[in-house]
Amino acid sequence: MFKSQGDKEKIKEVETIIGPSIKVKGNFNGQGNIVVEGILEGSLKTNGDVFIGDKAKIAATIEAREARIGGEVMGNVKIKKYMEVVGTAKIFGDIECSSLSIERGAILNGKCTMIPDKKEEIKS
Amino acid sequence: MHIYIYDDYVNTKKYDNALARIETRITDLGLNGKIIRLGLLENINEAVENEIKRGAKTIVAVGSDQTVNKIINAIINAEINNQMKVETPLGIIPVGNEGNTIAETLGIGREEEAGDVLSARRLEKLDIAQAGRNFFISQARIASQGTTLEIEKDYSIEILEPGEINVINLSVFSDLPEEAKPNPRDKTLELYIKTKGGRKFSNLNPSSNQSFFSLKKLTIINQKHPIILDNAVEIPTPAEISVNRSLNVIVGKERRF
Repeated sequence: MFKSQGDKEKIKEVETIIGPSIKVKGNFNGQGNIVVEGILEGSLKTNGDVFIGDKAKIAATIEAREARIGGEVMGNVKIKKYMEVVGTAKIFGDIECSSLSIERGAILNGKCTMIPDKKEEIKS
Repeated sequence: MHIYIYDDYVNTKKYDNALARIETRITDLGLNGKIIRLGLLENINEAVENEIKRGAKTIVAVGSDQTVNKIINAIINAEINNQMKVETPLGIIPVGNEGNTIAETLGIGREEEAGDVLSARRLEKLDIAQAGRNFFISQARIASQGTTLEIEKDYSIEILEPGEINVINLSVFSDLPEEAKPNPRDKTLELYIKTKGGRKFSNLNPSSNQSFFSLKKLTIINQKHPIILDNAVEIPTPAEISVNRSLNVIVGKERRF
């Protein structure tokens, strides 16, 4: 989703939008794409993609297919495919993904593990 | 037989001409039936239940969103009281210029135009949501100040700025984006939160103060403000809102879902 576009306004079929004046506490489980611009505490898990806005504050573990992270994340992030960390991001936790891009200015304090993309592995 | 339930406000002189035009159109279309006029003495629940038991072909709400809400509650209560599934469809004839958002969303034109929709008898099985002991078809609305939302015991939502919360089954908003458009046939509710300063939802700009969630069940808690159902009925909180019933509704070609 983010690889070719990299633009939050181009996210299609959004299932959930957590706006900037919203605080979500607990275990949030989704099926589709999720946009977070507000505060999230607990855990966030979806089969779709996650977009974390520049002003978002997350104190949660995150699991998703792809992710674009621009805000502050305190917690481990586990992404199946592509993860894009933009210059405004502050991540305090371990990250795991199969493809990664980190923009200049981003802060990443944690262990980074690259996992093979399952589909590509089967092809080769 | 078609049963026409006239809300008490339409029985005033102001609507004499409108009712005359509606009745003429209904007669022309061969849709004559029994008229029940709601007043202080008429118990709507009892009247609707009796007509359903007598085999009514259609129950038609003649009035506003408030009338539609009253009749939906009467039909669902008849189902609960008699432990049966009511297949009798609900028809709507909107009267007056305001408070007819449900009919508009269902593609039903005002007054005599609604007769043509009744005649075409295009049926849709639509979800009916429940809030506490009340039922609604379109949305439940509450002020965001002091409101806490608990979603199926998994997580809670706190709104940090003043604004409005809508739990939508059938959307009466015309500016929701395509991807966020609620479907009144998917047994899912859409939670739409708009705080002050939020722009219109039409361009789905995440930086605007709007939030959107899809869910099956939630509990609304607010010590001060009530929940308003279908723009018509106020109920106190805490109230659990879910969607687990359905109703046959006659809709127009121009429906917005």
